[in-house]
Amino acid sequence: MKRLRPASSRWTGWLLVARPGALRSAQQQPVSLTLRRQQSTSTATAPASYNTQLDGTDHDRFPPLEPLPPSATSLPSPLPERALRSAKLAALHARLSLPKKLPLQTLARTLVDASADENPKFNNANLAFVGQTLINYHIAEWIMVRYPRLPMAIIWAAMLAYTGPAPLHQVARSWGIESAAVPGGEVDPGLLQYSLEKPGTAIRGFGYKREELDFIDKYKFRQSINSGVIFDDDYGNLIRENAQRQRQEEQDAMDANYDESIEPDHMSYGNEATRSLAENAHANFTRAVVGAIYAHCGRDAVKAFIKSHIMSRTLDFSKLFEFKNPTRELNMLCEREDFDPPIARMLSETGRLSRTPVYVVGIFSGNDKLGEAVGPSLDMARLKAAMNSLKSWYLYSPGGNARLPSDMLAPEARPWQPAYIDIGEVVAR
Amino acid sequence: MALNSSRSVLSSTCKALQQYSRSSQPLQQSLSRRLLPSAAPIRHFTSSPTCRSDKVPPTPTIFTEDEINAAKNGEQPPAELPEQQPAEPPAERPRWTYTPEKMKGPGFSINIVKDPRRTIWKNNEDPVVVDTMYKRLLGPGGDKMLPDEIKWMAITHKSFDQGRRGFNTRLAYFGRQILALESTREIMVSPAAQGELITDRYNREPFDHPAMANVDKLAFRQPRDLIHKDRVAKLALEVGMMRVVRWKPRLPENLEGSGLTVVLNTAIFAIVGAISLQHGAEVAQRVVREKILKKLGP
Repeated sequence: MKRLRPASSRWTGWLLVARPGALRSAQQQPVSLTLRRQQSTSTATAPASYNTQLDGTDHDRFPPLEPLPPSATSLPSPLPERALRSAKLAALHARLSLPKKLPLQTLARTLVDASADENPKFNNANLAFVGQTLINYHIAEWIMVRYPRLPMAIIWAAMLAYTGPAPLHQVARSWGIESAAVPGGEVDPGLLQYSLEKPGTAIRGFGYKREELDFIDKYKFRQSINSGVIFDDDYGNLIRENAQRQRQEEQDAMDANYDESIEPDHMSYGNEATRSLAENAHANFTRAVVGAIYAHCGRDAVKAFIKSHIMSRTLDFSKLFEFKNPTRELNMLCEREDFDPPIARMLSETGRLSRTPVYVVGIFSGNDKLGEAVGPSLDMARLKAAMNSLKSWYLYSPGGNARLPSDMLAPEARPWQPAYIDIGEVVAR
Repeated sequence: MALNSSRSVLSSTCKALQQYSRSSQPLQQSLSRRLLPSAAPIRHFTSSPTCRSDKVPPTPTIFTEDEINAAKNGEQPPAELPEQQPAEPPAERPRWTYTPEKMKGPGFSINIVKDPRRTIWKNNEDPVVVDTMYKRLLGPGGDKMLPDEIKWMAITHKSFDQGRRGFNTRLAYFGRQILALESTREIMVSPAAQGELITDRYNREPFDHPAMANVDKLAFRQPRDLIHKDRVAKLALEVGMMRVVRWKPRLPENLEGSGLTVVLNTAIFAIVGAISLQHGAEVAQRVVREKILKKLGP
């Protein structure tokens, strides 16, 4: 019953408000309630102060699975002590093989999004910030060592593919996270709690809002990649500090225009905005777990966790590339590195006069073949061969098991061999 | 060798001869005259080894015994031939000192600029000035922490020389990740300031644990403010980075408007990233904590 996701705030409120007669009937028949409480005693004893009559839920419609604290429905998130009695939470802890040093109360806190509870001591905002910093550092160092020649734009794309909201959302889903329909103090602490109505404060990483942001939006200026390293976020996206407020204003405008007399003939269960909010909530949970492990267990444990859950994902780096003038760029690369100028030669062909010719073209610098490709026409094959040659340069790797700089933080680490540092990609014109 | 074109055979053989007998100019010229009928001057096509890393020495050229003997038994040395002596063998020139010859354009530009004075910008070329800056930033011995090429690459912005001599963008990205993590950790281990309390609207008691108390400090102090770009730029100016960075401002009369802050930040981040890749994270951590975060202040 708690799984359904109603569309707008009107419906949400309607579903959860107890029947007007419920509370009255409960008050008129205190004896039956007391009987019910004795019958439904759970093995874990609740504190004596818990009075099930006043927890705000409707006991006729939804018999409580466990005793709830007083006026639980008025709280934004479950109290920390309820974490010790949640089966879902204990199961999650065991499923992820989390270290024993990580208490259940912290794990419960990682499941509370900032949109559910605005108090930073009860939500996962700060934990998610720490986790995001850690994840981004470890993946960045891994990419730097594994592909030292990768162009900056490709690094951004790779970071988004490993540490962005979408992959972390998938990681959270793969952990078997279920979410509460609407956050509240009465929900199970093992459910992910976030609200679609109140967006909450976004986790703001590093980067600054550009002063010329309005001009960029209006005139579509192009920002340099290098300035993005300082100003933009870890994925090369512009920082917009007013995004949260904008979304809130849009939501308020929609609510103001809502006409109760007109019944909606269709219920949109979700749109792009709600999906992105849900994605961000799941991603923040993943980051918060990483942050919690770091806070309780230290750097080595968190590195092992990131390695097993995030670094283990596969990404085909060669699919991230896009070239505008591959032959020109390859020519400039050969000029810079002082190679012989690249020359395209046909290696083999078939079916030239047929409907489907096949040409195999290789690009040679002197006697060294830089790359080859198959294409349906001579030009296509040459362009593809140029792209493959550039990829073979940019995707140079000393191997997947190259040592990471953070390996030196382990005790008694072997002496460090300097990693290869490339001078940079070709600035293609 | 049979698959080599005659030109590469010529260049590799000439280089081999040069290595073995610098004084024997006539041998070199006689060989060139044998393989190349016209009396054209020798031109080296691949004048430098393919791999340019500081760590890897240039690969020696391969030649056969026959070629040496053939050269030694060659014809009489000619009467006169124009002397071909480059000022310095290009293979020994460090990469940061020159633009690749083939990448140079025709020598003039048909682009009509608004103000020709803006095309003039002089960058530092003196290694001593760079070393001084590194010593001021990283302490004594700071100039020896990075190899020569990396030292120059870390302070080279992408606008320098159209990006043909390398730039520090990638290193700066990695350096930013390092600084982000270190500044976050710095706040988490710093003592909690007195009087920082968040009262709960519902009078709840949060879960009390020292690890969580560390995390809660981030609510009051942002790591972004600790390593704010203006503070990092100020630190860079103090160590004399402005005279050292190699870049091309769009408006030499307005450096701040041309992005001086960004260039200085990029340089500092790139140095941090380079140290991490060169020495490992432990050394980089120490450098960041002692030389950068401490100097930036609380």
